[in-house]
Amino acid sequence: MAISKEMGGTHAESHATHGSAEHAHGEPHEPVFVGERRKQLDELLTRYPTKMAALLPALWMLQEDRGWVSEAGMAEVAEVLSLTPAYVKGVVTFYTMYHQHPVGKYFIQVCTTSPCNVCGAEDVVNAFLKHTKCGELGVTSEDGRFTVIEVECLGACGFATPVMINSDFIESVTPEKVPDLISKLT
Amino acid sequence: MADVKTINLTIEGRPVAVPEGTSLLEAARTVGVLIPHYCYHPGLPVAGVCRMCLVEVEKAPKLAPACATSVADGQIVHVHSEKAREARKGVLEMLLINHPLDCPICDQAGECELQDYTFQEGRKDSRYKEPKRFNPMEDFGGDVVYVPNRCILCTRCVRFMDDVAQEPVLNVSERGDRAYIGKFEGKDLTHPWAGNVVELCPVGALLSKDFLNKARAWELDRTASICPNCTQGCNAIVETRDNTVVRMRPRANPEVNEYFLCDAGRLDYRWMNGPNRLELPQARQNGLLADADWDVALGAAAAAIRGNRTLVVASPMLSNEALHLLSRLIRKTGGRGAFRVARGPEAPLPGVKDLALRSERAANVVGAEKLGFTKTDTPLAGLQPTDVLVIADHALTDAEIEAASRAAAVVVIGTTLPASLANIAAVLPIANFAEEEGTFTNLRGRVQRFLQAKAAPGLARPSGFVLSDLLGALGESANYFLPADVFAALAASHAEFAGLTYDRIGLRGLPVINAPQPAGAAQ
Amino acid sequence: MGYPHAPHPRETLVLSKYFGDRDAIGLDGWRKRGGYVALERALGMTPAEIVTIVKDSGLRGRGGAGFPTGLKWSFMKPGDGKPHYLCCNADESEPGTFKDREIMRWTPHALIEGCAIGSYAIGAETCYIYIRGEFTEPLERMEVAVREARAAGVIGPNAMGTGKRVDVWVHKGAGAYICGEETALMNSLEGRRGNPRIKPPFPAVAGVFGQPTTINNVETLAAVPHILNNGADWYKKMARPDNPKSTGTKLWSVCGNIARPGNYEVEMGFPFKDFLYDLCGGPPPGRKFKAVIPGGSSVPIMNMEEAEAALMDYEGMVAKGSMLGSAGCIVIDDAQCMVKQIARLARFYAHESCAQCTQCREGTAWATKIMERIEAGEGTMDDLGTLLEIGENMTGKTICVLSDSCAVPIASGIQKWRDEFEAHIKGKRCPFRTAAAA
Repeated sequence: MAISKEMGGTHAESHATHGSAEHAHGEPHEPVFVGERRKQLDELLTRYPTKMAALLPALWMLQEDRGWVSEAGMAEVAEVLSLTPAYVKGVVTFYTMYHQHPVGKYFIQVCTTSPCNVCGAEDVVNAFLKHTKCGELGVTSEDGRFTVIEVECLGACGFATPVMINSDFIESVTPEKVPDLISKLT
Repeated sequence: MADVKTINLTIEGRPVAVPEGTSLLEAARTVGVLIPHYCYHPGLPVAGVCRMCLVEVEKAPKLAPACATSVADGQIVHVHSEKAREARKGVLEMLLINHPLDCPICDQAGECELQDYTFQEGRKDSRYKEPKRFNPMEDFGGDVVYVPNRCILCTRCVRFMDDVAQEPVLNVSERGDRAYIGKFEGKDLTHPWAGNVVELCPVGALLSKDFLNKARAWELDRTASICPNCTQGCNAIVETRDNTVVRMRPRANPEVNEYFLCDAGRLDYRWMNGPNRLELPQARQNGLLADADWDVALGAAAAAIRGNRTLVVASPMLSNEALHLLSRLIRKTGGRGAFRVARGPEAPLPGVKDLALRSERAANVVGAEKLGFTKTDTPLAGLQPTDVLVIADHALTDAEIEAASRAAAVVVIGTTLPASLANIAAVLPIANFAEEEGTFTNLRGRVQRFLQAKAAPGLARPSGFVLSDLLGALGESANYFLPADVFAALAASHAEFAGLTYDRIGLRGLPVINAPQPAGAAQ
Repeated sequence: MGYPHAPHPRETLVLSKYFGDRDAIGLDGWRKRGGYVALERALGMTPAEIVTIVKDSGLRGRGGAGFPTGLKWSFMKPGDGKPHYLCCNADESEPGTFKDREIMRWTPHALIEGCAIGSYAIGAETCYIYIRGEFTEPLERMEVAVREARAAGVIGPNAMGTGKRVDVWVHKGAGAYICGEETALMNSLEGRRGNPRIKPPFPAVAGVFGQPTTINNVETLAAVPHILNNGADWYKKMARPDNPKSTGTKLWSVCGNIARPGNYEVEMGFPFKDFLYDLCGGPPPGRKFKAVIPGGSSVPIMNMEEAEAALMDYEGMVAKGSMLGSAGCIVIDDAQCMVKQIARLARFYAHESCAQCTQCREGTAWATKIMERIEAGEGTMDDLGTLLEIGENMTGKTICVLSDSCAVPIASGIQKWRDEFEAHIKGKRCPFRTAAAA
């Protein structure tokens, strides 16, 4: 749905006043887009004809720096890109890779879509749940180190089962390899 | 305007000729064929997502969404073919699987497009055996609550806020069947026009808090009217139940308000049902103001006025008709007329040209000026002790009460008593805006009719009746029976209104001659 | 090269020649292997000449639709005064498909070269390579390669010293299968939800940022330098003698229950039976193949009778009731429960539905619930009819084909493995699950 029929320009500018870096819940949010990050964002903006196009990259920067995408973070992104926080939130919730809640130090995504599923991916998931002591999908382990989720096709089907641990992509994981993988995560 | 090519096609066997670029949905409408739809709304950008308006176009490989398909020469379109009906039946079934079917407690029941189209062409049963999706209600702020379980994700509300209000505070959150209409915490639907999302919602997902659980849609009587709350003159529908106004809604008029009505206009209707109404005529007899027959009260008013100069302080909420008759009274007595208008901040709806909640918060400011009344913050200024003050539904300030008490006499023509003054000679109770028929002239000089929505209380009479009788009592010829007759007399005596009649004005309105244009408008 | 396995002699290595070759990743290594010769040549030609060669080669889109690439390029009207854009679709997300990943991991400069040539051919000064966010390693390699190429003046404001501007940028997705749909990709690139757009307008008229845009798949663009280097005839000859409509080599991703999963590059028209048993080594020991989804999860499922008679090109797959699609070949053996796997695919589509169209938003979720109920032994025979009718309502009626893609495997399953569905319903449990537990 169009936020604006024209691309960028005056319409988008008029949204600027709606953005606010203040956190809706009142907890402090330290701005991300200052100093070096701001420069990176400004460089990025030169690649696109609209400010809005930098939304996904800006959200990535936010997540890299803060570990997740909080509402306050969304409000900051909205402000720097002259969007409204509601608009930003609509986009954030569309994409599965932005964490809308804090996650464990190691965010473990196990592909279980059919090509991996027929190769035993569900057993890999169970092995992770057991050895991380998370017990349940999406629940962070008590020590705060692990969160395990099932993820849809990671695009490495010939290397079943692929697992992403944070940004590390590990191929051909079997249940037997799981304890060793976890022991290497400090 | 550039020449637009005319396209000829056939819809449901009927020949259609429309300008190039017209959608199949709008083209069908021109020949009386309604193509069922949810996400499409003529006042919003096309989304093409509900897939309800699928129609069969001969030689096309797939069914076409009528809202997003432009007409083409020679197209043969079937709206009610087996294939198209089956597709829509499929959409309806899908829309209903997670819909709570809580119609008995839903405000939208009776005016719900999901009910209507299901009644028209839906399945008789549901094949859905799984648990339904559930999300809690959410207060969206402003006058709006969101009931996500009923939502069909048509996104009309989101598009209205994005493109028309141009304050994107709503979004579609999440995706797949987890999707819902979301907002950002702390950023509410506080835009002055946000209440329109309630009307735009084709189902009971967005509801007015003001109207919540107040009435069933089928109990309401609906009357074509004009929103009286500012000079914009948005076309409106006044809805009443048991002689009480319970809701104001927009009435489409592309020349004035398209499909929209601001929240101020929408919610400011309670005064129409207000208490403390004048219900009986009164006359001062033996020093006491007492209830009287109409003839006696009119006689007392005429006696007070006769031979004196009048100052007529009128409400700019009075109709052109009432103001015209008052202007005759002024002329007859060599007096003058004035009015004061309440003001507030202007609140435009950016997506519609020249549409705003105007700062002057009364319907007929322009009408009053055209009919010779002076706009002033001090309408009683210059009142002489020899003057008769005629208060025509004007609310007096404390200072004005003081001033009024020094007039030779006061005649009250109104809906409420402005003050208990010892010099009031007569009180003539009149119907309020919702209780009579008349016209207003909006800020662009557009004369628009409003119809009677409810009965006046007690012996109160339409203002035109009362003023005609008063003029008659003063020896003037004013034998008007219908508001249309008064308007005809007005049009005959004011050049700007020449040629206008109730029949011609209709329910869409017509501009006066040399109507003012918005600043910067080319024409 | 059957990567990660040693190349099979019956493969034709063009795009995959350097898979696994670390030296091919960097700019210098790539140049030593003949890289950027084609770009240099292309920048000396007119855009129209390039389009003609690509048209003559018969190259068709490798993302799934198989639209002729040269024809697509020719829709971009030169001299319309508008900025043109090239988008490289590297959002490879179709279950079973992982070929573009290897192109980007091992030969990032091959893709940049293809992007640069493509941009020039369609009059674009900017190309965005939209890579799915999960591809962390390909993203990193592409970003490094873009920086290298830019620093070396291969691309940038003065590409190869010709004074022509060709900017190539990497744009990272954030987790949404549907962004592989071209109009959804454009929305995502613009910073919106990845909702597919209604067509028309088509991208060549109003694409990304409202401007004329061409979207090509990674493999498609990576093939272009080879075509310029070796000529259209060379490419065209890699085809079945009786089917000139599918030309060149094709990368096939093979996964699931098969001895040697990986990426294989064969000429169009290769016999599918030989491919599965000879190149890929047949089923795992002690198993038999039951089903093959040849073109990524969105195409009809083939039984082995169909698969073993099929030829591996666009028309050959259609002739046996399926499609080439993205050539992501998912092989399922006789130990797998078809009901479970089809339910899993349905769940994938329900998860990925963008939520715009009613039939897709509601239908994918509903179909998933019914499939999962049947799999759990709680289905009824009526459910099968309902599933097929829901599928009918989900097919050909929405903005994009995601909902069709959900309906396809369900219909294939009920049609070809009805016995398994009935066994679940009548036995009130999954026969495979019982067998495994026993």
